Amino acid sequence: MNVHELSERVSAAKRETLARGETFYPGPSRVHLAAFPPKERWDDWIDVGPRGEERRVLLVPTTCFNCEAACGLLAYVDRETLQVRKLEGNPEHPGSRGRNCAKGPATLNQVTDPDRILYPLKRAGRRGEGRWEQVSWDEALDDIAARIRRAIVEGRPNEVMYHVGRPGEDGYAERVLAAWGVDGHNSHTNVCSSGGRAGYAFWMGLDRPSPDHANAKVILLVSSHLESGHYFNPHAQRILEGKQRGAKLVVLDTRLSNTATHADHWLAPYPGSEPAILLAVANELIRSGRYDREFVRRWWNWQEYLEREHPEVEPTFEAFERILGELYASYTFEHAERESGVAAETLREVAELVASAGTRLATHVWRSAAAGNLGGWQVSRCLFLLNALLGAIATEGGTYPNAWTKFVPRPMYVPPHPESWNELTWPREYPLAMFELSYLLPYFLREGRGRLEVYFTRVYNPVWTNPDGFAWIEALTDESLVGLHVALTPTWSETAFFADYILPMGVGSERHDLHSYEQYDGRWLGFRQPVLRAARERLGQEIQDTREVNPGEVWEENELWIELSWRIDPDGSLGIRRFFESQERPGEKLTVDEYYRYIFERSVPGLPERAAGEGLDPLAYMRRYGAFEIDRGIGPVFSQRVPEEELVDVHVDERGRVYTRTPRPDSPNIVPQPSPEADADGRRPVGVLVAGEILRGFPTPSGRLEFYSPTLADWGWPELAIPTAPRSHVHPDELEEGQTVLISTFRLPVQIHTRSANAKWLDEIAHTNPLWIHPSHAERIGVRTGDLVRVETEIGYFVVKAWVTEGIRPGVVACSHHMGRWKLGEAGQRQMMATVALDREGSRWAMRRSRGVEPFASSDPDTTRIWWTDVGVHQNLTFPVQPDPVSGQHCWHQKVRVRPAEPGDAYGDIAVDTEKAWAAYRRWLALARPADRFSPTGERRPYWLLRPLKPAREAYRLPERALA
Amino acid sequence: MSELLRALAVLSEPPSPECGRIVEVLGLERGPTRAEWTELLQLELPPYASIYLGNEGQVGGEARDRVAGFWRALGLVPPAEPDHLAALLGLYAEAGEVGAPEAARRALLWEHLLAWLPVYLAKAREIAPRSFQRWAELLEEALLVEAERLPSGGLVPLHLREAGSVPDPREDGADAFLDALLAPVRSGLLLTRADLRHAARDLHLGLRVGERSFVLRSLLAQDAEATLRWLAAEAEGWAERHRRHGDALSPVGDLWAERAERAAELLDELAMTTGKEVARV
Repeated sequence: MNVHELSERVSAAKRETLARGETFYPGPSRVHLAAFPPKERWDDWIDVGPRGEERRVLLVPTTCFNCEAACGLLAYVDRETLQVRKLEGNPEHPGSRGRNCAKGPATLNQVTDPDRILYPLKRAGRRGEGRWEQVSWDEALDDIAARIRRAIVEGRPNEVMYHVGRPGEDGYAERVLAAWGVDGHNSHTNVCSSGGRAGYAFWMGLDRPSPDHANAKVILLVSSHLESGHYFNPHAQRILEGKQRGAKLVVLDTRLSNTATHADHWLAPYPGSEPAILLAVANELIRSGRYDREFVRRWWNWQEYLEREHPEVEPTFEAFERILGELYASYTFEHAERESGVAAETLREVAELVASAGTRLATHVWRSAAAGNLGGWQVSRCLFLLNALLGAIATEGGTYPNAWTKFVPRPMYVPPHPESWNELTWPREYPLAMFELSYLLPYFLREGRGRLEVYFTRVYNPVWTNPDGFAWIEALTDESLVGLHVALTPTWSETAFFADYILPMGVGSERHDLHSYEQYDGRWLGFRQPVLRAARERLGQEIQDTREVNPGEVWEENELWIELSWRIDPDGSLGIRRFFESQERPGEKLTVDEYYRYIFERSVPGLPERAAGEGLDPLAYMRRYGAFEIDRGIGPVFSQRVPEEELVDVHVDERGRVYTRTPRPDSPNIVPQPSPEADADGRRPVGVLVAGEILRGFPTPSGRLEFYSPTLADWGWPELAIPTAPRSHVHPDELEEGQTVLISTFRLPVQIHTRSANAKWLDEIAHTNPLWIHPSHAERIGVRTGDLVRVETEIGYFVVKAWVTEGIRPGVVACSHHMGRWKLGEAGQRQMMATVALDREGSRWAMRRSRGVEPFASSDPDTTRIWWTDVGVHQNLTFPVQPDPVSGQHCWHQKVRVRPAEPGDAYGDIAVDTEKAWAAYRRWLALARPADRFSPTGERRPYWLLRPLKPAREAYRLPERALA
Repeated sequence: MSELLRALAVLSEPPSPECGRIVEVLGLERGPTRAEWTELLQLELPPYASIYLGNEGQVGGEARDRVAGFWRALGLVPPAEPDHLAALLGLYAEAGEVGAPEAARRALLWEHLLAWLPVYLAKAREIAPRSFQRWAELLEEALLVEAERLPSGGLVPLHLREAGSVPDPREDGADAFLDALLAPVRSGLLLTRADLRHAARDLHLGLRVGERSFVLRSLLAQDAEATLRWLAAEAEGWAERHRRHGDALSPVGDLWAERAERAAELLDELAMTTGKEVARV
């Protein structure tokens, strides 16, 4: 047989095989550019193990729960043992496209962690004493439900609080709290992304950027998105695609991150000088006329700016251009060099690059400098200014507002907004804060602003994560302040040690959630599911409760909240139960199957049709594939014409904002949107008049991009109403002799906050956090790599090892996040928590490490092979709270003194005086401009801004006595 | 021919249960075991174009970038390993099926497949276990059919023409000399680990375990003259092999043969005059 005949024979065999619905070539093959088992074989795939053994497996999709990116995972479930053998990427997931970072596959470690909490625990001694007893779910839920019911019935709804770290399903918890009628949502966001969000929100109403990295010509990152951050893996793969297509990468990072190593231009600015750099680039674009004049003329609120700030000039675009040039003329490259230490010539080169990008400029900042500095929110405002100048917004290769590339499907029930306002989370000092002032909670409690009857920490570890963790310990151990602390967590945490109940939660392969994140110009829905439940159901078994398949009595949250809500309102008299009742079986509990079936059948456009095409119902489709892409190529929503049918009794104001009488059209997508005010006659804003056309515009009060934020101006911050470069609290002029700046927030690629300490693979790779220090700095203070140094903050100090490296700007030191985990006794996570002793004398706290990590015998033989002892130092304990007065973001950068350790100092030592922490709190609080004094409307906060669990309008009104 | 190329490409990847069906259709005696696959395609002859066409003789680098650039030129995002044999054959098969321009298919065939595969497959036929022998023969036959269908037009790919040659160690030092000898595109030689083991055995020299340049250096240190003569003979043998397809692969085969001949001349000269000198450097 010659090769022609042979080729025909192969073709024939392939045709026959495909006709049988089977796959001819192996899935993981380069020949058809795929690397995954073909989906038609997911019911019965032969997997080859590490020793060459073959096993038949079911492939069941879910999404990762470690960071927020919600990348797709495929669980390989052994058909014989019905255990998960491994987790790999899900090629059907549009965001992650089959790729994962190390944290996804390491979910398996979290499932099998020998120190895992498998049963509900109740404290047996004093709170924090470390003694526990196993209790039943019934006992725990009855106790918790009774307390919540009492708080609600007795008119104390604000004493119920849910404090979230890793978010679960979009909007689920908010709807549970709304059903209970409590304004009890609390998030971690103000120690995370509030600063970045604020800058975006004041520009365009929406608070997240969604860059189209893959199609960009220039990618400008004030972040380390090739290694960490939101949304690391989906973004990183698209950044690399962009680079492969020739895009240039510019990275601003004081530290040589993995991302910086891939940059065409790595700029290592002095911390806090980033806005000066960005404004120098903006100035160059403006000065040289290399900006999109037509875009600026059409879409910026320049007219409003001129009318309010320059009433003396005629409001023409030409006048605005002249003033715009004057506004930024002082932001020269030389000025930026003085502020940042980056050579003016380098900055000029970067500006040229940015100017060459046109509408293909993808920019991104999320935490980083925006979370480090006083006024850090101006980093994102200045960064987005570049997009706004170039018209690189919602363009191919540009940056999108997130809500246009996100889809939150309407569920069966959407309870009304709560009628109360919780000042423990939304204090009047911070009317413009993007999120809850969560990390100030212990101070507010101690000041007597309120108390908590039931406080849930839900996959959150404020004792460890937040600044001044000792203030949290003080609050959590005071039962007059916190009546009942319930820790919902998959793993031990420093916060769970101070709980009354620890309730074991599932990890990514053990729980349900729905997600949609802005990761490219398209909208998708990802479905997290308990994979063993889905696997058993695929094999014909019926599962009523996820605890039947999860390890021990680990539960998932959706079922938990339904059950708890029924116990709060067993007879329905409080009006709560109705939001958790089955529609198919009135009077009975809603099941997760019905909950998701409703959503997938009614609220996800295109899904029923796609499922039917495969002979499946929508729920079965999502259980099989784990994700669905709703659409792509969304494009510039702001320039879409408003349909005629939405335009009734239209009113156009003097600046072109268009209002209509028609109600907002029903949409299956309930992604949160800002809510600009109606006009005086109650018409809703629907668009904006541009060159004679009514276009959709942006969800801001003006309907345009708000270069000038009237909100900032009216609520007490006129000097910050346009993109500007405020002086950071760590500006060189703010430092005393001998002080330097500590960068404390950077992540390591394989860890995620305190959630991944239960993953042995990740711990082996990264388990400590030495202090990065430049050789010149190290020489000056006489330390070498490995030497102990004492890092003194405003409220105390920590002792850590030095790592002398040129990867950090001279005069700045850095210490990574994630590390320094500790436990007080035997209970805890033994592979990543050192055992410590805590001493307290009045306001003075001291922590000393008594034992590092060591090998131990367990159900996992790998724990006997633990070779590391050093798990780093818990630096956050020594940081005072530093709330930005506008965004509410904790400003993480610290002014510190670094010197060789003193005799008697030991690695990991921590000392803190919480009275000093109180003084710092009061000093920063004094920077705020409270609503009582500055609100122009008599309300607590601008109603149009986004707010989680937005209360009813009436709750926004400040009490009369406050206004008086 | 597309489907045959795909089927053969799959066999260059880790054996999987599906391979059995392909082995059967191809009429092969049996499929390779994992151990055989590892020995041939991981240790002796990794199937990456960059190893055989790059000046460094290693995976990656400019040679891989060049292949990736070709993917991009076709409007495709290059995969993680764009120069892997299976990826290139898959791409060629796809290009044929979707009606890619003839110029593009010709360039892919001559610049990225025939520029190295005849050399590679010749070695594979020599050292491969039985399960891979027929595979190498079939792949070579299929490629020759394609070469006939899409003749080169007498052009030699630029990267072949511009590849460096083997430098004289007396002028450029032993490191540069050894690196070039082990870079097939520069020396015209393809020296596998197995070859060096055989050299040690035939020359009665001690075999030190390590990467190929380490092994070669240790052979030269023990008996430079004998090792150089052995290398010269290898180069002469390769020159003959490069010409065996005659006009079918001309002028690419001629260029490879010239490289090998030049290397052979240099090695002969070194063996005669400066063996000891080489050993010292």
